Amino acid sequence: MAPIPGSGLAKGLAVTLRTMTKKTVTAQYPDVQPELPPRTRGVIGLFEENCTVCMLCARECPDWCIYIDSHKETVPPAVEGGRERSRNVLDRFAIDFSLCMYCGICIEVCPFDALFWSPEFEYAETDIHELTHERDKLREWMWTVPAPPALDEAAEEPKELAAARKAAEKLAAEQAAAAPQPGEDPQ
Amino acid sequence: MNDVLDVALRLLVVFVVFLTFPLIVGQTEHKVMAHMQGRLGPMYAGGFHGWAQLVADGVKFAQKEDIVPANADRRVFQLAPAVALLPYLLVLVAIPIGPGEGAVGQVVDAGIFFVLAVMGVGVLGSLMAGWASANKYSLLGGLRTAAQLLAYELPMLLAAASVAMAAGTVSLPGILNAFEWWWLPWQIVGALVFFVAGLAELQRPPFDMPVADSEIIFGAYTEYTGLRFALFLLAEYAGIVVLCGLTTVLFLGGWHGPWGADGLGWLWTLAKTGILAFLVIWLRVSYPRLREDQLQKLAWTVLVPLALAQIALTGIVKVAIN
Amino acid sequence: MTLGPPVTLAATAPQGFLSPTGVEIAFLLVGMATLGAAVITVTTKQLVHAALWLVVALGGLAVEYLLLTAEFIAWVQVLIYVGSVVVLLLFGLMLTKAPIGRSPDADSGNRWVALAVAIASAGALVWVVVDAFRTQWIDLDGAAQGSTEVTGTILFRHWVLPFEALSVLLLAALVGAIVLSRKNGDAETAEAAGTPTSATDKEQR
Repeated sequence: MAPIPGSGLAKGLAVTLRTMTKKTVTAQYPDVQPELPPRTRGVIGLFEENCTVCMLCARECPDWCIYIDSHKETVPPAVEGGRERSRNVLDRFAIDFSLCMYCGICIEVCPFDALFWSPEFEYAETDIHELTHERDKLREWMWTVPAPPALDEAAEEPKELAAARKAAEKLAAEQAAAAPQPGEDPQ
Repeated sequence: MNDVLDVALRLLVVFVVFLTFPLIVGQTEHKVMAHMQGRLGPMYAGGFHGWAQLVADGVKFAQKEDIVPANADRRVFQLAPAVALLPYLLVLVAIPIGPGEGAVGQVVDAGIFFVLAVMGVGVLGSLMAGWASANKYSLLGGLRTAAQLLAYELPMLLAAASVAMAAGTVSLPGILNAFEWWWLPWQIVGALVFFVAGLAELQRPPFDMPVADSEIIFGAYTEYTGLRFALFLLAEYAGIVVLCGLTTVLFLGGWHGPWGADGLGWLWTLAKTGILAFLVIWLRVSYPRLREDQLQKLAWTVLVPLALAQIALTGIVKVAIN
Repeated sequence: MTLGPPVTLAATAPQGFLSPTGVEIAFLLVGMATLGAAVITVTTKQLVHAALWLVVALGGLAVEYLLLTAEFIAWVQVLIYVGSVVVLLLFGLMLTKAPIGRSPDADSGNRWVALAVAIASAGALVWVVVDAFRTQWIDLDGAAQGSTEVTGTILFRHWVLPFEALSVLLLAALVGAIVLSRKNGDAETAEAAGTPTSATDKEQR
């Protein structure tokens, strides 16, 4: 069936009128903060305690924007007569965000969960050199990292939790086994 | 002395209307257009939803340097904005918004001819600007303006003549006094032709070929800056007010309404004008620009025959009811 | 151009040229301005300026009609001449890329012949008008004698034959325009709209 002449014109008017009654999509950014999805790649945060200075991140970085300095420290033996251990101590951890292309490879390769994506994005600077952020700044961003999404209800228990729970249960069982003995003594 | 005061008061009111209504239409256009495109439009100027955006624009324009191109024809270039703007002020004087002597700036005997004649003069401003700018884009814009005016003046006049025939008078208050509700369906074709031709004469989208910014920058106004440019913009919005007011008076019955005709007639006029102004904005948002040949074709092969048919219909009905 | 008010409408009371009223003074002043604009129109070396001065001259003429209470004629004058004819002129000038500044080559060299023709036609017009009206005065204070109603009545009662003859003339111009535009190989089917505006537009095409 041929369309009624002018129906296209009416349709055009209807589209604009319908749009007018709908909610606008304008983001009033400085006044209203955007609602970002949890996996937003805003900036990279560093959880220093987990870092072992393995240098994997710095090596894998495609544009070499991660700078790491460290030195070795000797740790006295844990038990008398044992061997001295050496440990890496982080001196400097900096990411140059003027080079970073937010590929996230460093976060992927970190075997010790020391790097995280943070949704924080308001770190523009007026000088390009100031975009190289040092470890204290990266650590501040660490606290803005959202909690990871909850696991599925039926999912297997995470290994860390399982290990911790087993240890706690074992301890409790030992205590339970030990506790009755003082109670039995008086009898 | 009382007469002088009366005249001065009327002129003052018309002047205030001339300065405020185009701004209101412009602000409405900002907001309506934004929301029709899923945006918010101006939100900052003046605090509440950017109500003072156009005031801020005016201040901005006033601060800008007034540039006249070196090769331009200085006097014609500088005179053009006034020629474009003043006719609309004159037309506003003759549009009645309510019944009685008190609700019109000045009763003009040949009202229809007055308003159409003076509106036609306004286009001279665009032509002068287009020629005097010494710019090929301006010249093209001026050419297109002239071609468009020549094409659309005729259907507009014919449609207005149809109403004058129906009412048996060419005075605007006279036409409104003779208005009956069934004129609405009787003159509907004429109303459409008049409104469309008026839009084309104002160079409003979708008939904005003369100022098509993607092709010829801003047509005749390309070289203008500062206040003179603002005057051209003001002329466009004053033109919208005038066109909507005229369509209301000629075709929609002005102050006549289903109820509240006594004392509140002017509200009806304003409401109808406002709805038409909204329609103007709505059309701008909805439709793409017509090409130059489509423009001419629409005028000569659609609007002129329609207007002539409307005149014939008006004549037949007029003879029949007499 | 306009047909003057017929004898029956003019007040016949004799009046003098001394102690003129304000309207008469205004009439003379506007007339002088109109004449000046007209002279500049034909003497200026700048083409577009000539067209713009023509606007002033035609507008001045409209004001003169207004002062004679011929309101309808005045607005029609503005509508047709200022609104359409001058726009057409400007359109034509822009098509020829009329330069800004003087264009000395635009002189046809017929200056003196043109002057003679102008003086002759002006003389003829003045003679006809003076002979027709002599010392009759229009009563400006009473009901407007040039109102739309009066003009319409006179036009379609007394002067209907010339009116129709003029229509035929315009129709002839229209047909001629179509023929001319066809001869140039323009196969465009021209639609007939019997008005001077459309006819002249066809000529432009």
